[in-house]
Amino acid sequence: MSGVILPDLRAVRLENGLRVVVGRRPGVPLAAARLVVRAGSALDPAGAFGLAHLVALSSRRGAGRRTGRAIDDLVEALGAHLGGGAEEDATVHGLSAPVEVLPRLLEVLAAVVARPTFPKEEVDRLRRRERAELAHDSDEPGTVADRALLEAVYGDHPYGHPVDGKDRDLARLRRPDAVAFHERWFGPAEALLVVTGPVDPGATLEEADRRLGRWRPAKALPPELPGAVRRPRRVIVVDKPDATQAQIRIGGVGIPRRSEDYFPALLANAILGGGFTSRLVEAIRVNRGLSYGVRSRFAVGRDSGLFVVSSFTKNESAGELVEVALDEMARFASAGPTAEEVARAASYLAGLFPLSLETHDHWADRIADAWIFGYDLAEVPRFPDRIRRIGEEEARGAALRHLPLEDGVVLAVGPAAKLEKQLARFGPVELWPVRRAM
Amino acid sequence: MVWAPALSAAIDLSSVVAHTLSNGLRVRILPDRLVPVVSYYTFFRVGSRNERPGATGISHLFEHMMFNGSERFGPKEFDRVLEAHGGASNAYTSNDLTAYHDDFASEALPIVVDLESDRMRALRITEEGLAQERSVVMEERRLRTDNSHFGLMEEQLDSLVFQAHPYRWPVIGWMDDIARISRAECLEFFATYYAPGNAAIYVCGDVDPDDLLARIETAYGVIPRGPPVPLPAGGEPPQRGERRAAVRHPAHATAMVAGFRGPAASEPDSAVLDLLQTCLASGEGSRLRRRLVTELEVAVSVGVGWTWRADPGVFLLSMELAPGASPRKAELALWTEIDRIASRGVTEREMARARALLRSGVLHELSTRNGVAHAMGQAEALLGDWREAGRSLERYAAVTSADVRRAAREWLDPLKRNVVWLDPEVTS
Repeated sequence: MSGVILPDLRAVRLENGLRVVVGRRPGVPLAAARLVVRAGSALDPAGAFGLAHLVALSSRRGAGRRTGRAIDDLVEALGAHLGGGAEEDATVHGLSAPVEVLPRLLEVLAAVVARPTFPKEEVDRLRRRERAELAHDSDEPGTVADRALLEAVYGDHPYGHPVDGKDRDLARLRRPDAVAFHERWFGPAEALLVVTGPVDPGATLEEADRRLGRWRPAKALPPELPGAVRRPRRVIVVDKPDATQAQIRIGGVGIPRRSEDYFPALLANAILGGGFTSRLVEAIRVNRGLSYGVRSRFAVGRDSGLFVVSSFTKNESAGELVEVALDEMARFASAGPTAEEVARAASYLAGLFPLSLETHDHWADRIADAWIFGYDLAEVPRFPDRIRRIGEEEARGAALRHLPLEDGVVLAVGPAAKLEKQLARFGPVELWPVRRAM
Repeated sequence: MVWAPALSAAIDLSSVVAHTLSNGLRVRILPDRLVPVVSYYTFFRVGSRNERPGATGISHLFEHMMFNGSERFGPKEFDRVLEAHGGASNAYTSNDLTAYHDDFASEALPIVVDLESDRMRALRITEEGLAQERSVVMEERRLRTDNSHFGLMEEQLDSLVFQAHPYRWPVIGWMDDIARISRAECLEFFATYYAPGNAAIYVCGDVDPDDLLARIETAYGVIPRGPPVPLPAGGEPPQRGERRAAVRHPAHATAMVAGFRGPAASEPDSAVLDLLQTCLASGEGSRLRRRLVTELEVAVSVGVGWTWRADPGVFLLSMELAPGASPRKAELALWTEIDRIASRGVTEREMARARALLRSGVLHELSTRNGVAHAMGQAEALLGDWREAGRSLERYAAVTSADVRRAAREWLDPLKRNVVWLDPEVTS
């Protein structure tokens, strides 16, 4: 038994192409909804990084006949939360609300996504606020590292910039850019509405049709993206002269969610750097006390993905930490995991799996993910069985193919004067100022 | 139109099985057999408020030691065994308590009881393990405090708000103390605070309560109750004027935190301050967000942190300024808003909004097994009764707008405020 009970699902496609899925399930008297459009930051035009994000934020600042303020007042008076954000592959507007007020708020959600008005003063204000937030982010070494890594690994691939954009581009964006992006990409044909919770499926489907059945088509359909290119390893030091601790990332091009290697890579990563007893934790935290934390993961997108090891250590031990991590990656790819490690990781991933699907919000997100990434929902309850079938060799193979053993990037944020020499042995060093990441 | 949420309890706790072993260990179990997973919490009533100067941070450092081996399970075995059985663990230390939790597939229940009882009964505390965790905790401190504006500012704020009470030092402790704490101190700490008489277990999930109680009785029943726990230092002189400090640190834009000493969790005003917090800073329509972020654009973000504590804790306000905004103007705007509530109160519409938002928050918290087990533990630790976990909506319903105005006037008195500004040092 997998321990996962699929909600009672009703799925329909409206005449205009919009997919609607209602997942009825017992639980607390809340409902979760997601209205997903397959247009995300990967569609940001060159020179307009942050546009999808700005569109997502400003959509709720005016929609249909309501002002942003009126939307805030209505939604919050009902005890609900409504928020939108861009991801690489999609824009997701989410609603979490007491179940009894869901119908009223579906109307607001629909207006925000299908009929935003983008008031000029609100777009300009959000743009100023986003730039101000970037100024604060530039003082957070971990955030700087994560942002820099995207460009370092992906180069000019559409995934190669942070979702929340770049300061110089945000400075140039205006209302007409937001309107044009929305008209081009936002329509029912490549969109999905999900509602989960103790809802009435029939009434919810009717409400969805009433509110979104007349949503007009977008001008274009999202293109397939090219695969990302793997390049020989480089070292990048982002100079932050005042830091007493270096933020470290080892990154490379990973795999898309639909890769056949997805499940073996997930298991391999659990052993290498996923949990509290991973090889990286053992080598870096337990045996050497070099860091409080170290993790690795395959972040998967629809068309590509990122592998990343994240950690931090006092400046003096940055080189040692990188060396230990790279050695562990190489050892895993050559000798593979033991049978005991594979069994333990499979039990861990399978045993905890039901906890990732406990709430209405968990299910709404999972159903949205399945559609964005193109996998079958029926696969979800079978996850534990799938994971338990993976052998040592299959896990090793995935690691060998997808870990950045000789390619990718070693990136550190900290004082270049102390880091550059320590890291030069891992590849040619480039020195970046913090602002390049912002 | 004012919409009133249904006033039913947020959770049904009537099927909780509650029992206290003869050694004082309290056990509370809520069966929920829908899916085969369990959340298992162990709470110890010890946190930084039980510490003394010279050994600050020992509660948190000790939390790390709990994963380093006990009599039947060697060093590093705890998580390895748990993961092999489909589980994961974590822990946190606060000013008042230390909580350990395991989330796992229900077949793992017997081994979890073994693992948890073994470390309560016979933890191994070695020089080697201590040395290793000491360096890990130092990295944690560098991460969260020494290289973070808000970490540095909050540390400074606590030492302004509290002149005498142990809440004046950070939970993670001073770097010098982390370096100094000895194995002997750890042994004494364990014997004093980690005994059954000072502990409680909260379980929610796919378990048979009678079977689990029997297992717990067998595994933990043999552990001696432990000594009476010394009372923490509680004194604090009343504040009779504003206190200010600055933190000079490299930064691109400035920020501020301010704090007021609030009531203890057990005082009725704690719930009143929850409502005040929601009116001030939860959601786009909250007063501070609307005024400082949206209308005046002096701040990029504002926040209010009101965390219930065993002794009177801190009502915390924070804001990150927009680059170029005047700190003086931003601070004035903040105090003007606080003063408006203290003098004129909030509207009924704002009260209804705050109750509705708090209700959704409570329902979210109680929508996972982990959330339910934690809420019971937190309620018993701070309010003396796990049943209080199901009563938060009643508490909020009893608060009136007059209460909110009075609480703002009383607790956010300008003479009792403490303010810390970040003073950006420009390096490049």
